[in-house]
Amino acid sequence: MTETSSPPAGTVMFPRPKKRIRGRSIAILVFLTMAALFFCIPLYVLVTTSFKTMDQIREGAIFSLPEVWTFEAWRYAWDEACSGITCEGLKRGFVNSLEILFPSLIASIAISAVTGYALALWSVRWAGGFLFLLFLCAFVPFQIIMYPLIVITVNMGIYGSIWAVAFIHTVLAMPVLTLIFRNYYKDIPPDIIKAAVMDNGSFWRIFIEIILPMSGNILIVVLIMQITSIWNDYLIGVTFGGLGAQPMTVNLANMVTVTTGTVSYNVNMAAALQTAIPPLVIYFVLGKFFVEGIAAGAVKG
Amino acid sequence: MGIRWSRLTPQLALAPAVALTAIAFIGSIGWTILLSLTSSRRLPDYTIDWSDPLRQYRRLFADLGWNIALSNLIILAIGSALAIVFGFVLAAMIERERRGEDFFRTVFLYPLAISLIVTGVAWRWIFNPSLGIESFFHSLGMTWVSFNWLADGRTAMYAIILASVWQSSGFYMALMLAGLKAINVEIWSAARMDGVALWRVYLEIIIPMMKFTFLTCAILLSLGVIKAYDIIVAMTNGGPGQSTWLPAYFTIKAMSAKGNLAFASAAAAMMLAITVVVFLPLVLLTAWQQRARKGAAG
Amino acid sequence: MPRVSFEHIVKKFGEVMVLNSLNLAVDDGDFLVLLGPSGCGKTTLLNLLAGLSDVTSGRIMIGNRDVTELDPKDRRLAMVFQSYALYPTKTVRGNLRFGLSASKLPQEEIEKRIAWAADMLQIGPLMDRRPAQLSGGQRQRVAIGRALVKHADVLLFDEPLSNLDAKLRTEMRMEIKKLHEELNPTVVYVTHDQIEAMTMATRIAIMNGGKIEQFGTPDDVYERPANLFVAGFIGSPSMNLLPATVEPGGQARLADGSPLDMSAYAFGAVPPPGTALMAGLRPEHFALAGPAEAACRFTLKVRHIERTGSDVMLALAFGEATLTVRAAPADAGHLRTGDPVSVQFPKDRLNLFDAGSGRRI
Ligand SMILES: Nc1ncnc2c1ncn2[C@@H]1O[C@H](COP(=O)(O)OP(=O)(O)OP(=O)(O)O)[C@@H](O)[C@H]1O
Ligand SMILES: [Mg+2]
Repeated sequence: MTETSSPPAGTVMFPRPKKRIRGRSIAILVFLTMAALFFCIPLYVLVTTSFKTMDQIREGAIFSLPEVWTFEAWRYAWDEACSGITCEGLKRGFVNSLEILFPSLIASIAISAVTGYALALWSVRWAGGFLFLLFLCAFVPFQIIMYPLIVITVNMGIYGSIWAVAFIHTVLAMPVLTLIFRNYYKDIPPDIIKAAVMDNGSFWRIFIEIILPMSGNILIVVLIMQITSIWNDYLIGVTFGGLGAQPMTVNLANMVTVTTGTVSYNVNMAAALQTAIPPLVIYFVLGKFFVEGIAAGAVKG
Repeated sequence: MGIRWSRLTPQLALAPAVALTAIAFIGSIGWTILLSLTSSRRLPDYTIDWSDPLRQYRRLFADLGWNIALSNLIILAIGSALAIVFGFVLAAMIERERRGEDFFRTVFLYPLAISLIVTGVAWRWIFNPSLGIESFFHSLGMTWVSFNWLADGRTAMYAIILASVWQSSGFYMALMLAGLKAINVEIWSAARMDGVALWRVYLEIIIPMMKFTFLTCAILLSLGVIKAYDIIVAMTNGGPGQSTWLPAYFTIKAMSAKGNLAFASAAAAMMLAITVVVFLPLVLLTAWQQRARKGAAG
Repeated sequence: MPRVSFEHIVKKFGEVMVLNSLNLAVDDGDFLVLLGPSGCGKTTLLNLLAGLSDVTSGRIMIGNRDVTELDPKDRRLAMVFQSYALYPTKTVRGNLRFGLSASKLPQEEIEKRIAWAADMLQIGPLMDRRPAQLSGGQRQRVAIGRALVKHADVLLFDEPLSNLDAKLRTEMRMEIKKLHEELNPTVVYVTHDQIEAMTMATRIAIMNGGKIEQFGTPDDVYERPANLFVAGFIGSPSMNLLPATVEPGGQARLADGSPLDMSAYAFGAVPPPGTALMAGLRPEHFALAGPAEAACRFTLKVRHIERTGSDVMLALAFGEATLTVRAAPADAGHLRTGDPVSVQFPKDRLNLFDAGSGRRI
């Protein structure tokens, strides 16, 4: 039971709030700080190792700071490191990732926004059933559709190119993004869409002139969500990118897993950091929207 | 009356999404399931041997790798559930204290912005036996400490669990924090007036009130566990031996092994089956909870 | 010219019948107010006319065009919504312009109309603001402006003033009335507010449960309610309805036994003796002391007094029931609860209804 004894009748007793709260606060802050340290360990280790020389790394003090800060590993990872059979560093992968990113973003957001808009604001009789189907599709594991999608992209003649990767990103993101857009649009006051239908009546014109300008927030949220998930993807890139269109993550994985001879940990760490920097920058600059995106994606996944 | 474009345009605008859903999801699922019933090897062969259509599934469950993958799936699910607990504790503390909320949230959530490949690289480095954290402890004189988890088939899964808890706790923390903030402040006042101890308020009032959030977390967690692939590739590549195989890893490996299309399809179909078995109850429960909540609200 | 008519309109939502074979015709230049209790189908009727939802069966005509199957934008209507429904990301000018975007008008004509509407509604200085930067009344003006620029045949209003405060509502009411007199469009106006209805309408349609209970001028509706529902619905405080029985010789007897003189009543058909009636007596027609030409007179105890400043409302004990009487403060100022008071009702203000069918006799 509780240790708080009931005060004797007739006296009004207040606990001494100052002291108790302060003690508890300190305990909580200490715990949170320790947890924060734990969360920072991998990043700290990545950063420091990437700036060390291999000689210092071999001494085995993983938490020590670099004795000499050197950018050699960063340069090597970017320019020369071998990934699979090619030795061009990560820069190829970086360019590929960018080339994949833009068409994927445009296509996935465009198709999901339009679909969400049509489902939310126009009376389509089968909208409910279709939404339910999309909801189910959002849970489907990638493996069950992987082989057919390979066959389809091969027949479209895009397999092994950035277009295949972008196409698959679009397909896989469509259910969740559509649900997110639809949920956002359905909260637009119905009178506004009624007024627009009476004023103009054109599906596309209303979308572009009225609805899109009202979607600023959700567009940023979805944009950040998509940039992070497309940039960080490995499986789609490795499956559909062939040799020519491998994104940065695939290059990185090849670099760190298939190295022969001596392992240059500083190069590996520098390569890992280079892969992580773009989404991290977005996260630290636009963190608020990132959190919103998580909630939006999760609540109606 | 002619064609009413106002009726048709929305349906036309939906056509791409409908086509993608029909082909890339529904059609492809059917396709894969169909393949799993055949004995396709290198190329698809659509004749089903009706005397024994489930042949591939029998092969699958006789396969040692698949059985390891299944038991690892359960281990990973249980282990990763720690991330929900941890996430809740962090969220409760942040919510209670308020000071430094933005800072802590930013720190706990950043792993989510990073590719799992990078996560795997970092943790593999930390678990490096001669240069990583083990040697750090040894240099402090604690030679009995062993962090050489990745080299041992019995402990490798724990390393993966640790890395994925690190990666996802912040995510659950963010969801829990949103859930906690949605709770009416008067609940706290009422509990304080009643003189109930804090831990009991959490256990008996707050957590039951957050059922919906917990269910959401559980759904997302199982989704993540079933999909877990990148982290395995980056940390262990399945090894040592087959000790860290998971269904997703098994299936991709079977797919890319070539010459075993039907078998790989059966594995993929089993993944779908697992998803359905795990999700259907969870999703229905969530929908029911939500409805109950709406009903209670008015 | 645009005479709006609804012919045998049926509207169902799934199994629920909301409008049941409704007929209604509005003449050109009429200001029709749809009045009725909540949920009676006013908005539904308006949406059908606007083309925002489809009739289950029936026909809607504007002038001699059958618009039943037309798209909203092709019906040449404009609508003002209760929530204003201004496009939040567009300026006032952009809002007005979007209203004309489907009309393929030359640019200078568009600018001319916008300037005209801005002038008429005095929103010129607001043209480059967004809706969020406007007050409620200003938003209302913009919403009306957006409807006016279209030069539509028919203007529709769905409770346009209900989000405004009382003073602003009175102002806007007069302004809409003035606009109607100047431009003389056909207007269909939905409201809950009887004062709005009585002051603005040239025709009122009282709706109840998906049917039109009465359609007529405001005077008609007020002076000669067609049935018990309209009698009870129109007027505030509402009409006193007292049961009575017809007796020979143009007389009737009220429930308490007092006589009711029906000799001045314009009967459609004289009911035979013994018919059960409802007598409708408006509170404002009672007199405390006055002309002898009374249909009935009572001396009753005051149960309750309510003073509004300009009037005194007396709730009198009529058996178990209550009789509401409106009096001038000069006549009733001295009264206290429990005092007896004599009231009489003029012969020519009587309303009589058949107790069974509820219809006016
Ligand atoms: N989309 C719908 N689906 C089912 N029933 C509906 C729908 N829209 C309206 N109704 C029903 O139709 C009836 C009439 O609704 P309507 O909105 O026309 O009422 P109203 O007269 O405008 O009421 P108010 O004065 O409250 O605005 C109501 O009983 C309502 O419940
Ligand atoms: Mg209404």
